[in-house]
Amino acid sequence: MTHSLRYFPAGLLTLSHEGYILEANETFQEELGYKPKELIGEHLEKLCRPGAKMIFHSYFFPNINMYGVVKELFVKLKNKEGTEVPFILNARQRPMEELQQIDVVLLPMKRRMEYEQELRQTKLQLEETIREKETALDQLKNIYQEIQAKQETLAVLNSELLIAANTDNLTGIANRKHLLELLADYNSLSQSTGESLSVLLIDIDYFKKVNDVYGHDAGDEVLIGLATFLQQFSRPGQLVGRLGGEEFLMLLPNVDKTLSLAVGQRLKELVEQAQWETVGSLTVSIGAATLIPKDSQKELIKKADLALYYSKENGRNQATHYDDIHKD
Amino acid sequence: MIGPSPCYLNTADGYHGGFDKSDIEDLLGMMEMNFTGWANYMAPMALKQPIESRTVQELRSTFVSNDPKVARQFAEVTFYSDCRDLLKQGQVDTLILQCSNDSIVPIEVGEYLHQHLKNSRLHILDAKGHYPHISHPQETASVVKDYLEVN
Repeated sequence: MTHSLRYFPAGLLTLSHEGYILEANETFQEELGYKPKELIGEHLEKLCRPGAKMIFHSYFFPNINMYGVVKELFVKLKNKEGTEVPFILNARQRPMEELQQIDVVLLPMKRRMEYEQELRQTKLQLEETIREKETALDQLKNIYQEIQAKQETLAVLNSELLIAANTDNLTGIANRKHLLELLADYNSLSQSTGESLSVLLIDIDYFKKVNDVYGHDAGDEVLIGLATFLQQFSRPGQLVGRLGGEEFLMLLPNVDKTLSLAVGQRLKELVEQAQWETVGSLTVSIGAATLIPKDSQKELIKKADLALYYSKENGRNQATHYDDIHKD
Repeated sequence: MIGPSPCYLNTADGYHGGFDKSDIEDLLGMMEMNFTGWANYMAPMALKQPIESRTVQELRSTFVSNDPKVARQFAEVTFYSDCRDLLKQGQVDTLILQCSNDSIVPIEVGEYLHQHLKNSRLHILDAKGHYPHISHPQETASVVKDYLEVN
C-alpha cells in the first residue's frame, strides 16, 4: 500500500473472499485503536458484535457475491476497547481476479450518526403525533355518531312524550290541556278569518249511578266507549277530547250557531239509540256555544257550560245552544 | 435445515442462543438504517429473476415504500422467538447442517436441536460462516445428496 493510501482520509480494507483482512490502512486501524498491521490476517468478525456479524453474513457477502458491490452500508464495528463505532462503507469485489478480493472504503460517521438519530427521533415523534391525532379524530367521530344517535332517540322520545302529554290516559283522545291549546289556536284563527267556531260540551247523564251500580271499571268502559263513539261521529277537521270526569268537548270549526245545535241534537239522539255494553242504554246532555268576536276561549267554554247546565236542569238527554237561553 | 436456531436469545436457563437482547436491538437498529439496501437485496433474491426486470423493479419499489415496519416486525419475530417447546412435536427425518465455527448460531444450538428433535442427524460442515449453501455450495450439496440417498 502506498504511503498516501496508508494515511488516506478514509479507512481502507482489502478482504479475502472468506472475510479475512488482507490489508488495512493506518487510518482505519487508528480509528479503531489498533496499531499499524495489528489487524492484518484477522477475520472481519473480530470487529463484529453479533448484530454486525448478521449484517455481514446476510447482506454484505450475499451482495458481493451477487452484484460484486455494496453501497452505503451502515454498520457498527468494535474498536479495540469493545466500544462500537458507526461506519458507512462501500465495497467492491476486484473484477477479473481469481482471488476475488474485496476492497472496502469505510468512513466513521459518529457526528453524522447523531444527526441521523435526531432525525429518526423526530420522525418517531411525528409519527406518534399523527397517530395521536388520528386516534383523537376517531374518538371525535365516534362521539359525533353517538350524539347523532342520541339526538334521533331524543327526537323519537320527544314526539312520544308530546303525544303522551296531549293524550287522555284512559280514553286515548285529546286531554284537557291539549283541548284548551287547540281551542286557543282555533279561536285566534276564527278571530282573524271571521269564520265561525262552535263547541259542544257533552256530559253523561247520571254517570254517578253507573259507577255506583256497575262499579268503576264499568264506568271507565262507558267513558272509553263514548270517546270512541264521539270520534266516529266527528267529521274531518272536528276535534274530540275529554275535559275531565264524564265531560267531553267537541271543537267544530266552520260551524255556526244553527248547525252546532243541529249537530248537538243529532249526537244526543244517536247516543240514546246506541246499544252500550254493560249499562245497555245511555244518554247525554249537551251545551252548545258559538264564538262571537272578542270572546276568549274561556268565555266560550263558560257559555257552553251554562247551556249544558240548562239542558240538565230541563230534564237531561237534550241539547241546548247558549244563544237560545232566555237570560232573565 | 441449514444453520437453524429455535431461539436466538441467550436465556436465563443457561441456553446459549448467541444473542443478548442488546445485540438484537443493535441488529434491528442497523437494519433500520440500511432499510433501502435490504429491499434492494431481497427483491431479486425472492423472485429469482434477472436483475432489473420490470417485476423486480415493482417489487423493489413496494419493498422500499411499504416495508420498513414489516421488515422490522419480521426481524423481531425471527430474533425474539423461542420455539424450543415445540421441538418435541417434530416427527420428520431431519438433517441439521451447521458450519464449523458458525458466526451467528453457536455450535451448541445445533447440538440442542439434534437432542430435542426426534429422527434428526447433525452434520458439522467444514465451511465457516452462516450460509454455507452460498459460501460453500459444493460441500453443502454433496452432504445433502448423501443424506437423501441413505434415508
